[in-house]
Amino acid sequence: MTNPRDELAAAPDVISSEGREDFSAFAASRWPGLVRLAFGLTGDRWLAEDIAQTALARAYVAWRRVSQADDPDAYLRRILVNASHRRFRRRRVTEQPGDPPETPVDGPAELVGDRSAVLAALSQLPPRQRAVIVLRYWADLTDAQIAATLGCSPGTVRSQASRALARLRESPALMEGDDR
Amino acid sequence: MTATEDRELRRVLHDTLRSVPPSPAPLEAIIRRSKRIRLRRAGAAAGAVALAGIIAVTSLALRGSPQPYVPPAAPAITAGPDGVFASGTADGHRWRLAVQNIADPGYSCLPAIIINGTDADPVNPDPGTGATVALGSALPGVGFGFVQVPADVNEIVVNGDAAVPAVTVAACGSRYHVAGFAYPLSKPLRVTVANPPPGWPPVFTMPLVSTQRPSTHTTPESPGLWINTISAQGETDSVALAWGTLPDGQAWFIKLQFGPGGDCYQLDGSSSLGNNQMGYCGPVSTPGGPETITALPLGFPNPGTGATGYALQVSPGTDQLAATLSNGSTEPATFCVVAGRKYAAFIVPNPLRLAKLTWFDARGQAIASTTALPRYGYVQFQP
Repeated sequence: MTNPRDELAAAPDVISSEGREDFSAFAASRWPGLVRLAFGLTGDRWLAEDIAQTALARAYVAWRRVSQADDPDAYLRRILVNASHRRFRRRRVTEQPGDPPETPVDGPAELVGDRSAVLAALSQLPPRQRAVIVLRYWADLTDAQIAATLGCSPGTVRSQASRALARLRESPALMEGDDR
Repeated sequence: MTATEDRELRRVLHDTLRSVPPSPAPLEAIIRRSKRIRLRRAGAAAGAVALAGIIAVTSLALRGSPQPYVPPAAPAITAGPDGVFASGTADGHRWRLAVQNIADPGYSCLPAIIINGTDADPVNPDPGTGATVALGSALPGVGFGFVQVPADVNEIVVNGDAAVPAVTVAACGSRYHVAGFAYPLSKPLRVTVANPPPGWPPVFTMPLVSTQRPSTHTTPESPGLWINTISAQGETDSVALAWGTLPDGQAWFIKLQFGPGGDCYQLDGSSSLGNNQMGYCGPVSTPGGPETITALPLGFPNPGTGATGYALQVSPGTDQLAATLSNGSTEPATFCVVAGRKYAAFIVPNPLRLAKLTWFDARGQAIASTTALPRYGYVQFQP
């Protein structure tokens, strides 16, 4: 019987060495943005890196197609958001909340408080609403682009955004606006 | 939603997500994972392959699974004057981890954790951080890890059975409580804290270092890979090293953030099409150690668009650094002294490539050169 590990090691690269070089440069340049987007979707630094890895691994498998796409970033975003949704589904079953503490961030205490409030408020949203907020306000996507990413209509994006914003308004730290 | 609310939400989200510091892209892990995807698609038995690396470490931490019994902690240990807090032999090679001053002569004391005298990582003033590192061809197959723990933690446990004592080290007028160890790169790493104090997780999430298996394909990770958890808080020097405008009209600047995360560089580009950003953190060079040359590709690598920024710390004796490009032209590097350390940075617009770097002393004499240069990530070079 073949050892799966041997099989894994023996699996050939799916793209040429030149393509691999291009992919590496592409992946390196997209990595920070993907991790940050995934962090916005999950609130967990290490989970975010895991999901970003998944997105890039899938892009690597389809690299010939992705590299010729009009917008490779749209492809990556779609995979990443889907992966984060699957994670949410799995988390509900297998993971316990509360472990481990969030990655601390640099900066004055006020800023750190801001960021914690953002993460706390986002964590209260259902995954799809959270994705709409992060894609709209962090990734600066249009409703049509968000709809393409989530596989829904722009109307659904708007209704999800409206519900999410209504919930976020209940978080004073997020919506104090001019008071700060 | 009002315009004020819209602006405010955008601002806090940007503040929050930008606070996630850039880490190196784990390219080898990504490619390994892609192979697994491909094997699954082909209906092979890859589903049985245990997920390794970060996934394993992360999921263990998140599940908070029961830990094996850990014996009561031993009395506190204090390092000697050389700052060595861990040492041993791995694959027949001696290794040691120490906390020492890495500032150039004449500058303020700068404590850092040093591996085998060549690579360093600034010490965080507070516990709770760690890093894993591999030295590549210098010590293939071996990774090193260290964790800075609270003063009342006397040991950590590596992979369930190896108890590693935490040692108190004095450097630059401060005391640090650290535990360090070597481990085989072929296995996932799991670090647990013996009797964690209240508020501390029983499992430290340590990023897994993996180096390439020996092959003819060389990537910048070959000489070694440093992954700092970058969860460190503390003083960070942030300085713009170089800036300008690309032939395609894109304005750019390269910024250094030197602090608990190590040497972190960021290339920012902005044009009418929007803003783009690429960041990378790498190992800090010790005064006698190799220079870490970091490449920051920005934008999709279509010919004629985008650029790759380069940044590195140079020895104090370096007066000029010449970057020879693939078309034979020379790009000047800008120098900047930050926290008593000298840095250089420049940019190479696509489709040109960096072909050679040459170091010159104050008399204009070439003192070193290399053509082994990265397109992304970093390589280390000993001038």
